Amino acid sequence: MKKRGLGFYLRIYFRILAQDLKSKMSYRADFIISTIGMIFTNISGFVSFWILFRNFPSINGWGYYEILFLYGFSLVSLTPVQCLFDNNWSLRMYVYSGDFIKYCFRPINLFFYYQSEVFDIKGLGQLAFGIGTIVYSWGRIGLELTPLMLIKLIVFLITASLIMIALQNMAAALCFWMQNSFFVLDFVYRFRDYAKYPVTIFSPVFRFIFTFIMPIAFIAYYPSLVILRPGEVPILSWLSPLMGCLFFFLSYKIWMYGAMKYSGTGS
Amino acid sequence: MNLKKYLSLTRAGIIESLQFRIAMLVMFAGNLLYLTVIYFLWRSIYASSGSEVVNGMTFSDTLIYLVLATALFGFMEMYAVWEIGRAIQSGKIVLDLLKPMPYRRYLFWSYSGSFVVNFFTIFLPTFIVVAIVTHGAIHMGVNLLYFVLAVVMAVIINYSIDFIVGTICLYTESIWGINIMKQVIVLLLSGATIPIAFFPEPLKTIVSYLPFQSIYNAPLTLLLDSGQDAVSAIKVLGVQLIWCIVMTVISKLFWKASLRQITVNGG
Repeated sequence: MKKRGLGFYLRIYFRILAQDLKSKMSYRADFIISTIGMIFTNISGFVSFWILFRNFPSINGWGYYEILFLYGFSLVSLTPVQCLFDNNWSLRMYVYSGDFIKYCFRPINLFFYYQSEVFDIKGLGQLAFGIGTIVYSWGRIGLELTPLMLIKLIVFLITASLIMIALQNMAAALCFWMQNSFFVLDFVYRFRDYAKYPVTIFSPVFRFIFTFIMPIAFIAYYPSLVILRPGEVPILSWLSPLMGCLFFFLSYKIWMYGAMKYSGTGS
Repeated sequence: MNLKKYLSLTRAGIIESLQFRIAMLVMFAGNLLYLTVIYFLWRSIYASSGSEVVNGMTFSDTLIYLVLATALFGFMEMYAVWEIGRAIQSGKIVLDLLKPMPYRRYLFWSYSGSFVVNFFTIFLPTFIVVAIVTHGAIHMGVNLLYFVLAVVMAVIINYSIDFIVGTICLYTESIWGINIMKQVIVLLLSGATIPIAFFPEPLKTIVSYLPFQSIYNAPLTLLLDSGQDAVSAIKVLGVQLIWCIVMTVISKLFWKASLRQITVNGG
């Protein structure tokens, strides 16, 4: 197969995206209601923090606005997995019904083609809400706004989202080997709710688990430290970009390996 | 009312949910992880507050409340909105409407089997573990009777809300968005995520006039508050009963009115 460049893939991506959006737009009411539902979820997270901090001044040395920053950070870093990799949820159905085989015959990268087919627009509501929360808490904490800080923020947001994408890819790829993998995927999906708390509240055993076995601490906590507590950044924070890329690469390999090896049903 | 035909639905439901043992196991692990996070979160919240009792609740009170709320959720949540929504989209609803019993009752009884299973696999084990671990923080007396009554009514209120929201799907063709909105509102305003005792004053007053607090807060406070007299307990149960009747009537009338609207593709 000829090696294709990035430009080729980008062009193809936007073409597929346009088709997907067109088909989504024919269910306009569903789109609007889903977006409102997404924003509802985010607001409820916001309200629960607000209620908590009316009763307690801080959690483990973390103030209200710092926790909000963590929350906003986790929301933004969870957007790519929501928007771009949503088709992972259907993988199990495609493999089960045998329809997955159609992806194997396209002359482009299998993983790319599969994921590009669906773009979940309702994630954009979450992105907007997350950015709003970051900006709000940024101002309240009184962080300075320098180009360096901004670059740091963006780099660490990207690496954080790579971790979550990797976790979801691996969970979805399980369906190549086992049936009924929905519950594993749902299990991993629920991790995102725990990413918004500082990992220091846990006991050492769970801190280890959430750092190395189910690395949800990398979704918000370790990357945010670089911005919130520049004085006490652990080595793990600086390692997180590397971890993100490594995890993503690993999940891609597992996914592709499964797609090559799986024994499909006939269709 | 001929009970036999309903009980056969219960039996079918029990058999059906026993089929998904691995799913149950993963769900169990997910709940365990959630409870671990809750434990550490509230432990560090109480540790940083510096006082033993906040809003009349100690750390162990709060923890028991939240653990049992999770267990109640595991046993009451029946995804009726999804069921109704899917039945409408696929056209299966036409067949359900032909059944020799009202649809509202049919759906309830076909879920009753999973109630029974979830009660014995989720709620009862959790309750026993909590009762043993906390060394009698749960008072064993007449409050257990109140609790059972309250849970039965909570199930009815919860089902009626689900059914009303499911009926909305007749008009919107959107399931995910409608369902997530319902779930967020119910979980937050019923006190399942944060006990209502922690809510700030104006919010507490608003919530007390809504049906949601009858679902989680009412049974749990009846169970945990050992110092209450019979009059206040009966008052709580009375409010629940009123909501029970009101929500049932609304859901029945709304369904009846909406059924004329129904448009179904195929079936």
